[in-house]
Amino acid sequence: MTRSDEPPAWADVFAADGGVGRDLAAVDWARTPLGPPADWSQGLRTAVSILLSSRFPMWLAWGPELTFFCNAAYRHDTLGRKYPWALGRPATEVWAEIRDDIGPRIETVLTTGEATWDEALLLLLERSGYPEETYHTFSYSPLRDDSGGVVGMLCVVSEDTQKVIGERRMATLRDLGSDPSVVRTERETLAFSCRQLDRNRRDLPFTLTYLFQDDGGARLAGTTGIAAGHPAAPTVLPADARAVWPSAAPALGESAVVELDGPAFTGLPAGDWAEPPVRALLVPLQQQGAAPHGFLVAGLNRYRPLDEGYRGFVELVAGHIAAGVASARGYQAQQRRAEELAELDRAKTAFFANISHEFRTPLTLIMGPLAELRDRLAGAEPAIREDLEVVHRNALRLAKLVNTLLDFSRIEAGRTRAAYEPVDLAALTAELASVFRSAVTRAGLAFEVDCPPLPEPVHVDRGMWEGVVLNLLSNALKFTFEGSIGVSTRAEDGQAVVTVEDTGIGVPPKELPRLFERFHRVENARGRSGEGSGIGLALVRELVELHGGTITVDSQEGRGTRFTIRLPFGRAHLPADAPARSEVSVTAEPYVREALRWLPSERDGGQDGEQVVGEPAASGPGVPATVLVADDNADMRSYLARLLAGAGYRVRPVGDGVKALEAIRAQEPDLVISDVMMPRMDGLALVSALRADPRTEAVPVLLLSARAGQDASIEGLQAGADDYLVKPFTAAELLARVRAHVELARLRNHHARWRTALVESLQEAFFVCDEEGTVVEINAAFTEIIGYGPEGLPYRMVHPWWPDAETDPEAYRQTAEAFESLGDRRRGNYTVPLVHRDGRRLWVSVLFNLTQDPDTGRTVAVGTFHDVTAERCAIQRETALAALSVRLSRATSSAEALAGALEQFKDLWRARRVLSVVFTERGEPTVTGTDTALSWDGLGEEHRAVLTGLRGRPALSPVTQGAGVGVTLEHPEGALVLWLDLDEHRPFTDQDELLLSVLAGHLAQGLIRAHQIDQQRETALALQRAILGPSRLPEGFVVRYEPAARPLGVGGDWYDIVALPDGRIGVVLGDCVGRGLKAAAVMGQLRSACRALLLQQQGPASTLMALDHFAAGIPGAVCTTVFCGVLDPATGELTYSSAGHPPAVLAKADGSTTLLDRGRSTPLAVRMDVGRPEAECALPPRSTLLVYTDGLVERRRSPLTAGIDQAAGVVRDGRGATLDDLADLLMTRLAPAGGYDDDVALLLYRYPAPLELTFPADPAQLAPVRRALRGWLERCGLSPDAAQNVLLAAGEACANAIEHGYRDAARAHVRLRVEAAVDDLRLTVADNGRWKTPRPQDNPHRGRGVALMRATMRHVTITPGPVGTVVDMRMRIPR
Amino acid sequence: MTTPLTLTPGSRPDGTAVLKVVGEIDMSNIAAFAAALEDVPGRVVVDLTGVDYLDSAGLSVLFTHADHVELLASPLLAPVITISGLAEVTTVRGLREPAAPE
Repeated sequence: MTRSDEPPAWADVFAADGGVGRDLAAVDWARTPLGPPADWSQGLRTAVSILLSSRFPMWLAWGPELTFFCNAAYRHDTLGRKYPWALGRPATEVWAEIRDDIGPRIETVLTTGEATWDEALLLLLERSGYPEETYHTFSYSPLRDDSGGVVGMLCVVSEDTQKVIGERRMATLRDLGSDPSVVRTERETLAFSCRQLDRNRRDLPFTLTYLFQDDGGARLAGTTGIAAGHPAAPTVLPADARAVWPSAAPALGESAVVELDGPAFTGLPAGDWAEPPVRALLVPLQQQGAAPHGFLVAGLNRYRPLDEGYRGFVELVAGHIAAGVASARGYQAQQRRAEELAELDRAKTAFFANISHEFRTPLTLIMGPLAELRDRLAGAEPAIREDLEVVHRNALRLAKLVNTLLDFSRIEAGRTRAAYEPVDLAALTAELASVFRSAVTRAGLAFEVDCPPLPEPVHVDRGMWEGVVLNLLSNALKFTFEGSIGVSTRAEDGQAVVTVEDTGIGVPPKELPRLFERFHRVENARGRSGEGSGIGLALVRELVELHGGTITVDSQEGRGTRFTIRLPFGRAHLPADAPARSEVSVTAEPYVREALRWLPSERDGGQDGEQVVGEPAASGPGVPATVLVADDNADMRSYLARLLAGAGYRVRPVGDGVKALEAIRAQEPDLVISDVMMPRMDGLALVSALRADPRTEAVPVLLLSARAGQDASIEGLQAGADDYLVKPFTAAELLARVRAHVELARLRNHHARWRTALVESLQEAFFVCDEEGTVVEINAAFTEIIGYGPEGLPYRMVHPWWPDAETDPEAYRQTAEAFESLGDRRRGNYTVPLVHRDGRRLWVSVLFNLTQDPDTGRTVAVGTFHDVTAERCAIQRETALAALSVRLSRATSSAEALAGALEQFKDLWRARRVLSVVFTERGEPTVTGTDTALSWDGLGEEHRAVLTGLRGRPALSPVTQGAGVGVTLEHPEGALVLWLDLDEHRPFTDQDELLLSVLAGHLAQGLIRAHQIDQQRETALALQRAILGPSRLPEGFVVRYEPAARPLGVGGDWYDIVALPDGRIGVVLGDCVGRGLKAAAVMGQLRSACRALLLQQQGPASTLMALDHFAAGIPGAVCTTVFCGVLDPATGELTYSSAGHPPAVLAKADGSTTLLDRGRSTPLAVRMDVGRPEAECALPPRSTLLVYTDGLVERRRSPLTAGIDQAAGVVRDGRGATLDDLADLLMTRLAPAGGYDDDVALLLYRYPAPLELTFPADPAQLAPVRRALRGWLERCGLSPDAAQNVLLAAGEACANAIEHGYRDAARAHVRLRVEAAVDDLRLTVADNGRWKTPRPQDNPHRGRGVALMRATMRHVTITPGPVGTVVDMRMRIPR
Repeated sequence: MTTPLTLTPGSRPDGTAVLKVVGEIDMSNIAAFAAALEDVPGRVVVDLTGVDYLDSAGLSVLFTHADHVELLASPLLAPVITISGLAEVTTVRGLREPAAPE
């Protein structure tokens, strides 16, 4: 081309950019040293043209005054308000304020001709009306005139301000949120925060943290960047408006900006800057649902505007500090409370332990030896026996007192719960009264018991009721000297009424109101005894009230007293969760013994009295001992029965061993007397059966036999009998033996009762386990802690309180391991998870000891445990919080942060599913879940309604609904609802709610932080995409790009495909030395330059030669290899030149491959001003071209040619595949074992490119479409016959499409696409109308059209759809 | 714009009517093609050797007049004429002739 043909070139200098170009054209260039553009040198024109065509921010300076030019990107990114003033001015004037920074660099470029490079350089620019902190990455490279002398410089620049500042702030926030230690105190947490804030003195030149105090003032709790004692940092801020910092706004939860211009603010520290802040931001330390903890004063960087980002940053910092303070305070409060509770428990435990040990233990040691002594001294002189009786009676009395006190204090502590059971109250009361009958009779009083049956049962605790009746009777007997004592029951007004009345001394009127007061005694009352604790009647009232009843007293002095108890029928008035067994240790014996002692005959002592009531033979006072007699001889049976009944025993006679066993199992007697010889089951077998059953193994058995001799008795005793008596025996002998055994059994039971009382008084759960692991004994605390009571004993393995092996294998394993180790050690201590009967998770600390059962010699485990769930939960909360912090701080996007958090929540609560819904301003709510592929629509209407309902709830307050729990929290894009689908068997406790609330709060902060990271990354990616290359490629091209340095999306390799004005296409693939960001920056410049050169219609060789000069001036650009080609898509003619680049591969349809290894020369800027060769190549029809960088083929210890051959092989084998598939195939087949270790770029082209035509549905279009298709088929190398078939099929499909489109809508269009691989041709015709089913009678030739299509093509698919019909046809291309 | 098509009526020395067709026949111009055929009374030889595209629309016209036409065509049109069955209802010549050298 010559100049004469075209408008003057200088007119085009500014044409590359309409905006900046117009302003440049408007500059009065004649007044600058450069003169009018018409006179500019070729070098200047080229430089300006490159500048304007680049989307990368650039400016250049040219000539003696370094006249300033810039492009649109630079104008927007950096120049700001200086545009368009700056155009055409000397560069030093444009950038006067940073002359010190950039002056020396410009000097270097101009004098040495070497380029400079600065990365993220801090520059204080005055582009917005104030000195602004900015960061720029830029390079100055020299520009040469046509003679090669340096006459100017080009600056390629990218602004990093947002990135640098964003990263800095992010680092601070991350540091704040990443405290690895579990912070304990407020002071520690604040110190930690201050250390982190102090590391960022650019954003936070100084900070002050104030915490509000109770008086409304605030105290200084932390500082950074400012010395203590500075007037702006008073240690205490009074609560008035004249204070240095106005605390009113933050106290209300609002932020405030303070201008720092008062006297207190002189000499403020400047942080990392030259000048101190002029403004400070006060931000409240917010607290959930309460007034703020305090506020943060942040001195603001005067070189940055207080924009949303800056303000948000300071608020997030304050949020972190507030969260730290809240967690420290919460932790302290919790710890304090735990300690208080523990102290209270210790005191209670000590009290009960003292009672038990200080009273009961010595009592046991008195009563045991005493019983022995009484037996041994049975024949001693009466005086000694009398003394022993005195000791015995008093010990019993003391025991009764201790028991009463214990009962009382238990009721007091609310720990006594009645075991209500429906009883026949009249009968029970009469039975209890009968115990006193002998004593009353002996006192010479009438005893009137009038207890007719009541209409319905009354719910009472038997033990407690005994206490009530016995206390009242004993009271009556004590104060009545003549007349009668009466007990009666009746029904009245829906209540059972029980009265106990006497004709005793009565109570003075003034004493009546205080009669039921504890420890109150009527002074000087005449009674059978002066003793008494004054606690009996108080206990009676407590016990009656526990039954929901009332007790009243009527009395007249000298006439008598009447106590009236009213108890409601039914159980509506009683608490629901009553224990199954009485917790009250009342026994009648001490009451009766005590009462008897008041009577004269008892004081005389003597055996007669005892024999009259038959008491010593009874197992319980007043209740005769039961003896089971088993003998097959009826005479013998009735003799024994008469004999024993006469001695005061209750007798149950049976005829054989089987019946005996049944009767014993039904109700255990106090003693069994059995004959040895019996039908069905003999006595020895009976004994064995009894001993084999744990329930009956302790029943004493006395065997009777007619067989005399040592052997027989030994046999009986070996079988387990307690005694053996040979017939004939005397009545006295039998009775003596019977009595001895009954007493022995009673003694044993007595010990057992003591032991039970002791165990029951323990605050810790107590259990005994046998060798098989079966729990055979537990106490009340055990039931209280885990909900399983003695009614379920024995509890065999696996115990019902173990965690479920299937739903919670980990907890099951912990418990099982602890349990298994029971057998290995003598003692141990474990903390294990258990499940309460109501399903809630418990943690208990177990202490156990292995010991021998003295009776059986077997090993048993005796253990205690207490509930440590609360402590455990606190630790778990800390752990969960720390784990969440780690997850959140590692997340690189908000999606990742959210997904990670949901997974953690799922694990933590063993939830079936966890999901979150973000309700954004518009559009459908966004759902994220631990299940994949969750969508809002897929959730189901009910669930959606629940989630939407939660949306309006206050943040961070969990709501349980059905088998799930939800909580709302703030999300940067709107309200976020978090939902956990829980296992139905797992209750969500208060502890869980607290934990969920804390974690959700933490998550909310984490998401805000991650959201900011997202935004920054998007910016970075956009920038990378701008550098990389065109995102839309012309038809027929496919590229792949994989940089070695991740996560950076760009490297030193590049590709470019440039549509040239003449219809040809420029194809460029290059590879700069090095990789990573620096290589990417070089690459970006080379790519832009090369593109600009190609657009100027230069051939490949000239382009590369011009690029040599350009590269010489860019550090790092030397030795870049480039493949540069210009392709004519109409003919397949490719002109190319290679600057040291690996040869392109051409795979032809016939399977042969060629390397495009001509047109080669050295890499860029190695040799200057030496011509570069250029080669031409005609791409044959349906051939595939591969251009690539050496990263694809270069392997250590393997020649380059091997890699190239391999790549050529893959292209050859894949020449029939689509280009996309082939590109993927290349990337995977050639990848080294550990992935690519260098940047890889590859480009594929197939000739001819697919033909795609879109035309209006008009018959007139058919001929031009055919023409275009015919030309394409020719380029494809099809034979005329084959081409005619394709034309015919395409023509029929198009005609059909036109017919329908024509009919339906005026603006209908038809789209035709045809592409060819090696031997496969694919033709698609699509329209937006409806196809008619062929109806030959209407339109005979249409049906014929489809038939023609099917006859000429190998494969025809017609797919009608709602928006149009698609015809897809395939044909095999003949060789 | 319709597809270019030249229709030249004439007669052979023996008096047989001839319609010489040159160009491409598709739905945009079958009306003209049909009219030209109707203008010729009696038997007519339709010379399609100058036609390098004939689709089902053109075939339908030929089918309509199958009882009084005789076709002369080049091998290029052989597939479409054979597949459509037109060759079975009327006389077609020239399909098997070797293609003209190019």
